[in-house]
Order: sequence, then structure tokens, then C-alpha cells
Amino acid sequence: MLMENQNEKPTKISITLPGNAYFMSGIRDFTLTLIKNTTNFAEKWAFRLQSVVDELCNNAIEYGSSENESILVTFIHKKEEYIEITVEDTGTGKHKTTAAEMNKLLEDRKNENYKFTGIRGRGLAKIVAEWTDEIEFTDKKEGGLTVRVRKYLKDPRYKSGLPESTPTHLVLNV
Amino acid sequence: MAEATILIEDLPVKDPNSKAKLITISGQLDESNVDTKAKEIYQLLETTQGKLSFIFDLAGLDYMNSKSIGYLTDWYGKITERGGKVLIAHAKPNIKDILQVVGLTQLIQMFESLDEAKTLILGATPQNVSAPAPGAQPAAPVPPQQTETFKLN
Repeated sequence: MLMENQNEKPTKISITLPGNAYFMSGIRDFTLTLIKNTTNFAEKWAFRLQSVVDELCNNAIEYGSSENESILVTFIHKKEEYIEITVEDTGTGKHKTTAAEMNKLLEDRKNENYKFTGIRGRGLAKIVAEWTDEIEFTDKKEGGLTVRVRKYLKDPRYKSGLPESTPTHLVLNV
Repeated sequence: MAEATILIEDLPVKDPNSKAKLITISGQLDESNVDTKAKEIYQLLETTQGKLSFIFDLAGLDYMNSKSIGYLTDWYGKITERGGKVLIAHAKPNIKDILQVVGLTQLIQMFESLDEAKTLILGATPQNVSAPAPGAQPAAPVPPQQTETFKLN
């Protein structure tokens, strides 16, 4: 695990996981704790980003890395600005895909007329894309795919990651 | 590996041609266990004949991934084909949130309490139903929630 934290510099944490789902509960717990304890994102967004990380890792394990290989998960937190998550596979999986194929798949599934008929396929389009502000796929030179997502804390272009205001009074009908 | 348990109980229904099951899921449903756990529900669907309804009590469920939502959607389709209902009770806020973002709350009615869900299965009128989104087709007609308005003179 690598950690950097110097005043205004983003905090970067990288974790290498085996290419199977056995340790996914651990990375989910870590994500929840990281976001709740070290960022100003609302608790709701801690749970949402926990799902985002889980879905990205599952895709990397299922499609990108064989069971004997690993995946690399990296969190970059810029205080008061954003959290960025990248998941890298090794391109050794049985169903490896390219960045171009992933972009097309995502665009197809984001179409409101797209019908999800199978058990799988909702994670990227309905969870990752809905709960992040940026998503980018990149082919690695050495083989494999990197998926980078970013969620801003309070960029006005996007849904705020801050806690929602809770009314403390009733609006009376007078 | 994530831990998850599924408990299945019979619910007493008045209609002799119908059956209803209370399915209590607790723990975390993820890639490491969801395929195995889903088999229990498919086995139940195969071994139970006729009209069948499910109430999922999710009070103890802490996490569900997209594949477990895919299974839930598939069970909903199979149950409603047979004329039954699928209801969810007691879901935690993060579970409601993920069901909502994938659009499942447009299909499946959510209840704050198990008693309310049971009431609907038994044929009476429930209160405090979390109504599906506009355009959704709920399993049964739901009366509008009664609201109170305070007026100052």
C-alpha cells in the first residue's frame, strides 16, 4: 500500500488484489471507511462509491484478469474537490475487452431504450455511470484496461456529493 | 468472502390456490456468494406450483451488487408471470438507493415494515407504502397516502 499526503497534494492509495472475488468485501469495507473518515462526501455517497468500486473490480476480475493475476485499485483524493478511482486489469482474462469496446458498450447501455434482459450488465451503466461524474477507459500499453472514474464533491455541473440540506421546519399552508 | 444467509418461511394466505413465502436475506450479497445463494430461490420457484408471492425482508442486508439485482429482476419476472406479487420490506437506505438507481423500485413495491407488506399479500389495504415511480405498474392498486395540512388563520 502506497500513501502520499502533503498538505494540498492529493492523497493516493493503491491496493493490489488477487483476481478473484474472495477479497471484495475487504475492499468495500476499505472504500466505505476511507470516504466516511477522510473526505467530506456525504455518507450516502460513501455507500454509492463503495458500489462503484465493487462493480469496477468485479468487471476487472470477470473480464480482464485471470485468477492467477491481480487487479490494481487506486484511490486519489483531492481534499474538498474530488475522489478518483482507477481499476486496472492485466488483459489476461477470458473475456478481455478494449477501451473502444467498453465505450461502445457503455453508450449502448446508457440509452434509455436499452432493455436489460439478463442477470448481468447493469453495473457499469446503471451504477458506475450514474454515480460518477467522469468515466474513462484506456488500453494499457503492456496489455489490459484501465478504468478511471471521478466524483466531484461540489462541482456545480454535477450532482453534489455533499450532504443534502434537511428541512428543520414545516412549510405551513396559510 | 462475504457472508449471506437466506431464510425461507411460509406465509399463511387465505386463497388455497396461492402460496406466499417470506424470504429473509441478511449479510452481503456479492460476486463471491450470489450465484450459490440465488440457487436456493430458483429451487423454491421450481418446487412450488401455482400462484406464488414473495416478500423479501431485507432488514439485515447490508450490501447487494448489480448481479444480485439482476437475479431479483429475474425472480420478479417469473413470479408475476404466475400471477404472484413480489414485495420488499425493511430495506436499509443504501439498499433502497441502489434498487432505485437501477430502476427496480419502478417494478417492485417497497414497504417500511414487514407487517405492511404482509397485509398486502393477505389482501387488505396497507398504509405507508413507498409508491413506485410515475409510469410504473405496481403489483396491486395502492391508495394515495393520507397527508395532513396545517393551516394558520
